[in-house]
Amino acid sequence: MAESPGVAEGLPSLTAITFKRGLVAGRLYLGLATLISLILTTVLLHNAKPGVFANTFPLELPLFATLGSMGGIMLFVSDRSKGVLEYLIAYGVRPRSLFLNVLLTAAALSSLVLLCALAVGLSGYLLTGHTLTADLENSILGYTVPMTYASALFATMTGMLWSVLSTPRAGLNSPVGVSPLLGIAPPMLVLILAEAVDKSAYYDITVGASIGFLLVVAGLLLVSTRLMGRERFLSAM
Amino acid sequence: MSEAIHPTSPAAGSVPFLQCEGLSSGYHGRPVLQDVSFSLSEPSIYVVLGPNGAGKTTLFRTLAGILTPLRGTARIAGRSVEEPSTRDRLHFLSHVDGIPDGLRVEEALRFYATVERAGPSDVGRVMDLLEITPLRRKYFSELSAGQKKRVSIARIFLRERDLYLLDEPTANLDPKVATEIRDLILGLSREKVVLYSSHNLFEAREIGRYVIALKEGKVAVFDRISDLRSAKYSIGVRPLSGAALLPASQRKGEYFVYDLVGPEEVPKLLRELEGKGVVVREVREMGNPLEDLFR
Repeated sequence: MAESPGVAEGLPSLTAITFKRGLVAGRLYLGLATLISLILTTVLLHNAKPGVFANTFPLELPLFATLGSMGGIMLFVSDRSKGVLEYLIAYGVRPRSLFLNVLLTAAALSSLVLLCALAVGLSGYLLTGHTLTADLENSILGYTVPMTYASALFATMTGMLWSVLSTPRAGLNSPVGVSPLLGIAPPMLVLILAEAVDKSAYYDITVGASIGFLLVVAGLLLVSTRLMGRERFLSAM
Repeated sequence: MSEAIHPTSPAAGSVPFLQCEGLSSGYHGRPVLQDVSFSLSEPSIYVVLGPNGAGKTTLFRTLAGILTPLRGTARIAGRSVEEPSTRDRLHFLSHVDGIPDGLRVEEALRFYATVERAGPSDVGRVMDLLEITPLRRKYFSELSAGQKKRVSIARIFLRERDLYLLDEPTANLDPKVATEIRDLILGLSREKVVLYSSHNLFEAREIGRYVIALKEGKVAVFDRISDLRSAKYSIGVRPLSGAALLPASQRKGEYFVYDLVGPEEVPKLLRELEGKGVVVREVREMGNPLEDLFR
């Protein structure tokens, strides 16, 4: 849990405020990611070919969930440019807490997309007369869920580091523009790797890779806040 | 102007509240402040002056714990500014407003109340104090520059602190709002130590009791403002009649400017003017001793 300063009675915690602000900042990404994933799910459910839904549905969700988590990095980049981060540090919020609050926000936002798509997809799948196979269950638990968080958190962490280590940029060259591309890297890498090895090792690879990416995020979090000067959080204004 | 550097405000022999010793600080390892030493004890307004790049903002950011000192120490009530516990002793107001995007005025203040560990009632109190209650439902981005400044400054009244670091709090404000904000800060300074940076020398002379002048990252002067004397003492004479008898080369607007050794020469000058048949309507000091700190 992120370290937040003690909170006075009647006011939400900084973590809760960060989530709420992330939800507002990234509502367009969140809405689009959820909408597109639902459209794709509906298309897959109505595909007559057997096995298409079970094979495709678990693979596409991490990409949309990562897109839906963009509110976190958007918030961080905006707060840095507006000078909010320097105020928070002056009031005693540690840089690690700043990162951690945004990571938790990204995880919560990606959960919203994931839960929505899973609820619609699986209930539609069952209602159209299918049964939940072990393969589909394993794909969701062994790939979709861990890779969603690995991708979203990897995209957000690298985006935040990109933001604090560079001069502010706008447009697609900014951390907000680059983050989704970085978030696509983990699932793509894992899928390519998993295709190249024996099928029996598929879930070992996907779960292992997800844990690996989460460890990279944790490592970056620890190393960056130890080595990086606090002046990196200053606004360029 | 006094050239003497007095690195200690004349408090009554107590432990300095704010003490910098050989403090060097800057960005990415490159020092902006160099070997700065001073200590403050007396509750007052200490005006920090200096040209752009002199290190005013760097000093404030270092004292606020945002920048890590490269060398030397800065202590608040005996504790290093690097210690998290010192953050509860100070308020910092940067030259950027620091209000998060997409928040209404009340939400922005509640955001900082959370960070500050203040209560919801404090938000209402500061909105009343800064007269921004009618703006509470407006988005911060919709406000005028003066209204934004009021909201930004409201933060420092959410909770009482011992040290206030105010970086150009009245910059870009119209005179009415600037005066109101200066009055609030003057009220604070009766019991608190306020470091106040400004480019407005007349404001600095009006509000401050002490001046800390920075030049190229070093303390050039630390003195009582009342003890500073200009290198030259200039007065402006505004005649009621007889302006034609005065030298045109000394005219600046409605005033004729005379450089004197000091205020003791004013009566003699007035007698001379009277002798020439000039009726004087007004005499005023034209120079500001703080101007010399920028030379």
